[in-house]
Amino acid sequence: MQIEDRLDLLERYPRLKPMLKSRLFQPVLMLLTLAVFSLAVAAGMFGTPVGSRNFGIIFVWIVWWALLIIILVPVAGRLWCAICPIPAPGEWLQRRGFVRRFMGKPLTLGLRWPRRFKNIWLQNAGFLLIAVFSTVILTRPGVSAWLLLGFVLAAVILSLLFEKRTFCRYVCPVGGFIGLYSMVSPLALRVKDTQVCLDHTTKDCIKGNEFGYGCPWITYPGSLTRNTACGLCTECLKTCPQDNITLYWRPAGEDLFVQKEHRLDEAYKAFIMLACALLYSTVLLGPWGWIKGWANMESLPHWLLYAGGFVAVNVLIVPGLFSLASAASRWLSGDRKSLKALVIDYAYSLIPLGLAAWIAFSLGFVLINGTYAAAVLSDPFGWGWNLFGTASVSWQPIAANILPVLQAGVLTAGLLFALNTAYRIAGQNHSDPRAAFRAVLPIAAFLITMTLGFAGLYMA
Amino acid sequence: MKLRSENPQRRERIFLLMAILLVVGLPATALGYEYVLRPALDLHRTINIRAAVPEAGGFQPDSIRVAAGETVTLRFRSVDVTHGIAIGPGLGIDLGHVDPGQVKDVTVTFDQAGTYTFYCNSWCSDNHWRMRGVIEAYDPSNPDAPPVSSPDPVIEALIAEGVDIDAITHVDEPDEHSTGPVPSAERGAALITNLDVPEELRITDWRRSHTPEEAAELLALANPGAGPDILADVVAYLWTANTSPAQSAEAEELYDKNCAACHGETGSGDGPAADTSSEKPATFSDPHHMLEMRGDVLYAKIRRGGMGTGMPNFGTLFTPQETWGLVDYLWALAFTETSQWEHLDSSDH
Repeated sequence: MQIEDRLDLLERYPRLKPMLKSRLFQPVLMLLTLAVFSLAVAAGMFGTPVGSRNFGIIFVWIVWWALLIIILVPVAGRLWCAICPIPAPGEWLQRRGFVRRFMGKPLTLGLRWPRRFKNIWLQNAGFLLIAVFSTVILTRPGVSAWLLLGFVLAAVILSLLFEKRTFCRYVCPVGGFIGLYSMVSPLALRVKDTQVCLDHTTKDCIKGNEFGYGCPWITYPGSLTRNTACGLCTECLKTCPQDNITLYWRPAGEDLFVQKEHRLDEAYKAFIMLACALLYSTVLLGPWGWIKGWANMESLPHWLLYAGGFVAVNVLIVPGLFSLASAASRWLSGDRKSLKALVIDYAYSLIPLGLAAWIAFSLGFVLINGTYAAAVLSDPFGWGWNLFGTASVSWQPIAANILPVLQAGVLTAGLLFALNTAYRIAGQNHSDPRAAFRAVLPIAAFLITMTLGFAGLYMA
Repeated sequence: MKLRSENPQRRERIFLLMAILLVVGLPATALGYEYVLRPALDLHRTINIRAAVPEAGGFQPDSIRVAAGETVTLRFRSVDVTHGIAIGPGLGIDLGHVDPGQVKDVTVTFDQAGTYTFYCNSWCSDNHWRMRGVIEAYDPSNPDAPPVSSPDPVIEALIAEGVDIDAITHVDEPDEHSTGPVPSAERGAALITNLDVPEELRITDWRRSHTPEEAAELLALANPGAGPDILADVVAYLWTANTSPAQSAEAEELYDKNCAACHGETGSGDGPAADTSSEKPATFSDPHHMLEMRGDVLYAKIRRGGMGTGMPNFGTLFTPQETWGLVDYLWALAFTETSQWEHLDSSDH
């Protein structure tokens, strides 16, 4: 079945399918990223403590981050999760192999993840925890390396205890926001015809067969309506005997309107990501050196004050202000839904704006600090090497004069996307367009205010 | 591609090998090269020196032993802020700025046994001057012999004379001299031919052990009709005349790198680090104050440091010749018009 506004990529590009169906596809890419990862960890542990000269800092927090948030997530959703090195050792141990489909008993206790944690609250908390320490993590190669290694260790332990990719699905703090923002991506793995899945009895995509493993993300592809819980590992593509799985290219942001899937933990993720983008922009790009000093743990009392403020803005102030906007929306439109349900619904309009804010913020430090990558490539440990003759490339901001224009463009696009999302969500709640319009006004005011806040920080 | 092997077991083994090579081998190769291969390939012994602000450990190591005649490479890595690395005395080694994360090295042979100092010459922290390390170049034929240090004859002579080298001589408030005529070496150069200059005033050693004020008194006795401003101008000229432009430029560079942070670029005592000193740094650009100073006392203060004032010693960094060059530069700061205008400008502010 071909839905009009979707392009079936595997049909359009037939060479893609055998590549994705190959068992080599994922492990080879994971191995490559794991090699870079191990170099980054080694550089963090043994290289110079100066972040700007250390491969571990520059290639993780500038190059990888830019690739992730500016390109991979907006375009390809969770594609990074498919090639991420962090779960690789755990997954290979669990599967007792790298490429082959191991049919024996996996190396794991195979425990089920507790029901109460089958959400992204842990990921929200984990992200917030890391975000509070981020100024330290982003500038100190040793801390950064141990954190990355800690992720791998956690993934290994969880894969030995729990089934499949429990770590990625429920614990990984990075995976949490990638999942959230992957809803904006036009790329989606879906079944072609849900009826085929309903009629199919063996459910190879869940149980696995000789061609591949049952979904590592503990997801039933037949009911996939959003990108959030699909790691694009393509195991279901390999196992589906009905050839009912494909990759679609569709209008961006379609997943945001799957109202039955709207949840409070995801809404909170949207709040946290937006608030963090605002706080990072304030701390790292703003003109207030004293906040940077507080965030950088120059004194414990100041850092505690900063951390307290940081958490409060994330979990109380931004959600609180948005709840006020949602209450106003409810009052203006006469919506019968509970306030909580409305807050959750409209929070999905923050996702495109949050992603745009992160892209604008990331453009700021990537273009300003990107030239460090050339020097670090030739001297990854800061030991005075010059592998490719670029070690002495001096720091030079790229496109600094047009950076504010780029950021303004990204923010404007994000705002328009967010306004459209809010209006369409309002339209799902109100059959009367005028009521939908009234409902969206306070949400729009919130979105515009936030955008102006970001613009003020970037343009100043 | 070998990984396309139809034999899954073989493919797994190849993948395992590749995984070990890439994931373990890549970092292991890097570490092995840096810590084993690179030192082995170096033509000379390489000593890695970590450079950090003194509050974070300063130079590590801060004490190095090399045999006289041995060629070594000293590799400095700044791990925090921008430092300036130099080695003295008398080696003329200045690596310039070493930025955070930057690595700079120098290959050097210490021909003579002796004690040398590597030090930071770019203001890096409140304790900047403590950022020093010692290189002991020992005699390979007698490696256990203790380092020899010979007393400085100029300082010895001052002590024998009973001069209090540590006396705080700078003035915070203007005294009666401050309102007098401002001596100018430039005017003095034009006036000196009209005066009878006592012979001792033309002797460098005499000038170094006497104040310009004492010289002006002798000059007044020889020239009863000359006014005090003329006498001061001529003395100013005499005190600044015994240095070439090249020596002056060299001294200026030393001053800018090592003294200006506290004493100010123009010698006005208000450098950016002036507040870190327990006493206000001396003001060299005030000609009235400098009229009362002796060159050998300035020399001794530079080499020995000012006890209780926060002035560090530079005797282990500079040669006596470099130190005299600095003293001459201080006179130039006091008695040349350009410096005086700068002093007056900064006073206005």
